[in-house]
Amino acid sequence: MRGDRQVHPARKFVRRPLRVAAGVAALGLAVTACGSSSHSSSSPTSAASSSAPATVTFLNWADAETATSPGITAMINKFEQLYPNIHIKAEPVSYTDVEHQALLQYRSGNPPDVVEMQGNYTFDLAAAGALQPLGSFATSSYKSNIIPSELKLGDINGQLLAIPWTVAPFGLWYNKVDMSKAGLNPNDPPHTLNQLLSDAAAIKAHEPNVIPFGTDTTNRTYGLDQNWPFMKTDGAQPFTGTTANADTPGMINYLTFMQQVGKNGYTVVNQLGGKFRDPAAHNGVAFDIDGPYLEGVVLSETHETEAQFAQTWGLTTIPVGTTGKAYSTPTDHQLVMFKTTKDKQAAWTFMKWLSTSDYAISNYTVPIEQSIPPLVNLGSQSKALLTSSPFYKTYIDDILPTVILPPWGPSYTAAYTPIMTTIQSVMTSGVSPSSAAKSLQSQLQSALAGS
Amino acid sequence: MAVASAPAPTVSGGPSLPARRARSRRRTPVFDWMALPAVIVLAGVIGYPIVRAVQLSFTNSNLLSAGAAKSVGLQNYKTLFTNDPVFWQALEHTAVYTFVSVAAAALIGLALALATENLGGAWRILRTLMLTPWGVPVIVVAFLFYYMFQDRGGVVNQALTSLGIIHTPILWLGTGKWAMIAVIIANVWSTTPFFLLMFTAALASVPNEVIEAARVDRAGPMAMLTRIKLPYLRNAAVLGSLLMVIQNFNNFPLIYSMTKGGPVYSTTTLVIYVYQLAFDQFHLGFASAVGVIWLIILLVFAGLFIRLMRTNPA
Repeated sequence: MRGDRQVHPARKFVRRPLRVAAGVAALGLAVTACGSSSHSSSSPTSAASSSAPATVTFLNWADAETATSPGITAMINKFEQLYPNIHIKAEPVSYTDVEHQALLQYRSGNPPDVVEMQGNYTFDLAAAGALQPLGSFATSSYKSNIIPSELKLGDINGQLLAIPWTVAPFGLWYNKVDMSKAGLNPNDPPHTLNQLLSDAAAIKAHEPNVIPFGTDTTNRTYGLDQNWPFMKTDGAQPFTGTTANADTPGMINYLTFMQQVGKNGYTVVNQLGGKFRDPAAHNGVAFDIDGPYLEGVVLSETHETEAQFAQTWGLTTIPVGTTGKAYSTPTDHQLVMFKTTKDKQAAWTFMKWLSTSDYAISNYTVPIEQSIPPLVNLGSQSKALLTSSPFYKTYIDDILPTVILPPWGPSYTAAYTPIMTTIQSVMTSGVSPSSAAKSLQSQLQSALAGS
Repeated sequence: MAVASAPAPTVSGGPSLPARRARSRRRTPVFDWMALPAVIVLAGVIGYPIVRAVQLSFTNSNLLSAGAAKSVGLQNYKTLFTNDPVFWQALEHTAVYTFVSVAAAALIGLALALATENLGGAWRILRTLMLTPWGVPVIVVAFLFYYMFQDRGGVVNQALTSLGIIHTPILWLGTGKWAMIAVIIANVWSTTPFFLLMFTAALASVPNEVIEAARVDRAGPMAMLTRIKLPYLRNAAVLGSLLMVIQNFNNFPLIYSMTKGGPVYSTTTLVIYVYQLAFDQFHLGFASAVGVIWLIILLVFAGLFIRLMRTNPA
């Protein structure tokens, strides 16, 4: 019985302070809970006046990469000079981690205000209901100066949820030095998948330490983005909406191509696309599928001039398969605003300045990101920079017209793992492409059913 | 020669169980209360996430879903056990990675401890050098071996080619079988010094009288090893192995940095699978179910470890 129990004197001694401590702890928790509650319940539509000091947190990977970090820091400093009442707090995170970092911050009630996004990541954040519609900020004059296809990239379910920052589709970079050493004509890059295979064979035979073909085959959405043009040019589209469509002759053709790439050791299977850039800087990759960033990374490592870079590297469209049509997918960087952002006007001011101002374009987007600005009418400085590089001309005239959008969204998120593991499987094992396509079909049916 | 097996070392040497219980009853409760702050902190940083993970494992929680998570009962566990081949592969890879790594590291650590046991003077620096991998952060080990195992320009293929062992480069990280071998080699390199330390300490604790007695009985090197030294190393081996099993079960950075669990799923262990489900595919509910199973398996090993520590505190 409780009343009969002997209480040790020492217990008596500690019981009261413990109660007090427990009370204080409970009070502390309650206060904390109230604090967080009031924070999260603040009106999402409240916007501080433009004259009041505001802090905008900016989660981005530009600040986490050696090639772009000094540039983005300089841009932020310049912006703060121009808008002294807006302080930008940069939060660097790697590209690989940016999506789940942003999502986790959002779910835990501590999201950033502005985030650098790309491809399927934007669609995932939109599906989570995290993004602020930007239609009320994007005036008609803003919209009229954005390349329409770039504006459309951020239009998800009829709402403008992301604005374009940099335009950067995939192209085929070819190393003229490696091609010459292998006895290939450095001015005649491969235009078909068969030519790519035969050129890769020549590279491998003459330069065993050079990676013939750099392509991302990792199990992530970026890996699928990079493989999507190859599938399309072979007439394959492994799924449409929530319908699997992988067991087709087109998909078998594509898997056969990838099997030859893998089995012959033309690429490093399961390697991040970005990991080909370092060897590429030292002529260690002959053909590389990449966005315009390759140039920036190579220049930051070799300290060459653009002219020297252009002597070593050439750029063309991704080789064509059985359909005879070239395709590319965008790796464009976008800017999104979280709907929990306190000072939306300040955030928008920063987003707009960073993506459209002549200063940011001519000092960051073009020279540092090596990307194309998303504008129809460029400022004088930007225009001069763009016309001086042969690669921008190739991008604008040849590659941009081949760009298609992968079916980004929840189905894409559900489908990329079965597709990429199937690609890795045919590249590393003796499984036949036709049985791999059959297996992929059933995997996709099950994955898409739950998406 | 009549070398008797050394008696199993009576490492416990402490008071009997009833005596320990009696002592426990005499303890002053105020000292128990002093553990309260630590218990509160542990409840917050360890207890809450575990409870939350168990709770989430019964829901369809998805980070990409704008709606609230709904309860799905045992559905996640049912799917896991009946309709998820990747889970079983991950379980198998975890077992292979863990037990092969621990066995290899223990054997090499034992051999090194025996080889360096009688080093004297300046030669003792060799033992220090052998311990250095233990001080290298796992993430550094991962990148070190990632570059060493590159098929082009990697030092491993270069060495094997110059020795005439291979004629074409091995795609270490690009094929399933070799990728698992590569991550195990990296892990063994990193964890062998732990066993070297454990066994060196255990060898130093073998009583001199026992060694002397064996020498008087003209015990040869093999008899000295198998009948005298190894029995004294048993406790160190068991406890060290259990500790390393637990650590390797959780080894995320090494595998993820070297292979990301691929190619295909060839190096996907349970911890990698949980990460992929939770942070690549955002299926938090399903990932939590895998995490709960992983936790239960770990608890078995942790329980074994604690039990051994209690029975053999030395």
